[in-house]
Amino acid sequence: MNNLLIAGGIGVAFGCALECAGLGDPPKLARQFYLRDFTVLKVMLSAMLTAMLGAFWGGRLGMFDSAAFYVPDTYLLPQLLGGMVFGLGFVLSGLCPGTSCVALASGRIEGAATMLGLFAGVLLVGLAFPAIEAFYRSTPYGSLTLERLTGLPYGAMVALVTVVAVSVLAWIAKCEAGR
Amino acid sequence: MKFVRQLGISALVLGLGAPFAGSLFRTQPRGLDLDSIARAIDEGTDHVSARQLAEWIRDRRPGLRVIDVRSPAEFRDDAIPTAENVPIDQLTKSHFAPGQTIVLYSQEGAHAGQAWVMLRSLGVTQAVFVPGGLADWHEEVLYPLLPANVSPAERAQIDALSHYFGGAPRIGAEQGSDVASAAMSGQRPRRRGC
Repeated sequence: MNNLLIAGGIGVAFGCALECAGLGDPPKLARQFYLRDFTVLKVMLSAMLTAMLGAFWGGRLGMFDSAAFYVPDTYLLPQLLGGMVFGLGFVLSGLCPGTSCVALASGRIEGAATMLGLFAGVLLVGLAFPAIEAFYRSTPYGSLTLERLTGLPYGAMVALVTVVAVSVLAWIAKCEAGR
Repeated sequence: MKFVRQLGISALVLGLGAPFAGSLFRTQPRGLDLDSIARAIDEGTDHVSARQLAEWIRDRRPGLRVIDVRSPAEFRDDAIPTAENVPIDQLTKSHFAPGQTIVLYSQEGAHAGQAWVMLRSLGVTQAVFVPGGLADWHEEVLYPLLPANVSPAERAQIDALSHYFGGAPRIGAEQGSDVASAAMSGQRPRRRGC
């Protein structure tokens, strides 16, 4: 029960953050794909950076056990295809699953339409699952992390991702200031 | 803008400091807790029978994760439904969430028992193994041998479980018929224990 309460609290905070960033607005999200508005990239990069540094240093300082984190398994081909379908849906509707909830909560009809499509898609995949199960489980790589893929130590990987993310964010800020 | 710059600089400092922070995982250097292992073996909380596992799968027990530690070729050939294949050499690279119930099995149980000790040494305490492995799955769940004098209620229960997984119980009275019916169902009779 406690876990559910915590999850609820985190969900409310996440929804508020998305709405404050303006991510409930489909045209704004779609503009990211035309490289005219970098809000999505900025929100994603800063969220990843905060979560990664928090998870690393929290684990290092003994606040929690990082080894207990669940890392989802990688199935390369099915996830590549899934990513393409996801990207297509994202640019067509201007919303991703999380932001469609936010859009619906703030009263946008686009959010309702996207969520309806989302559930219909999930249902379809569920019904077709026996037919696609072999593909669903193909090319398994276990819980593949950047650390395992490159063979670099965890800390070095964190530093590398930080430098890349901060550089991109600084570049975006410079571009926006120049406009 | 100044605040944003400060945030960026803090992120850089934290990120660039990460390579010098040492190992991330507290659990890595954890050794074997021999007392708790001995206690688990003594109390029998280290293992679960094939039939119990079948009931867990059927009842969709929350957080259940069935892991086949055999090779991918053996896994493709025959496996317990809902199981995922994590060969024993890949086991230490896998992540196990605290809320999950991990059930390990192998062909006849020895490797699963060893995998259980490996997971224990990694600090994974919520794992159990199937002592008779896939062979027990065949003998206790798919094609269980029912004694002639079994009660109708018990028989219905075993029947239902076996049929749920696509098997069928065998009826037998004597030791000899065990071997005969095992041969009929396409399995080799095997020696018990490992």
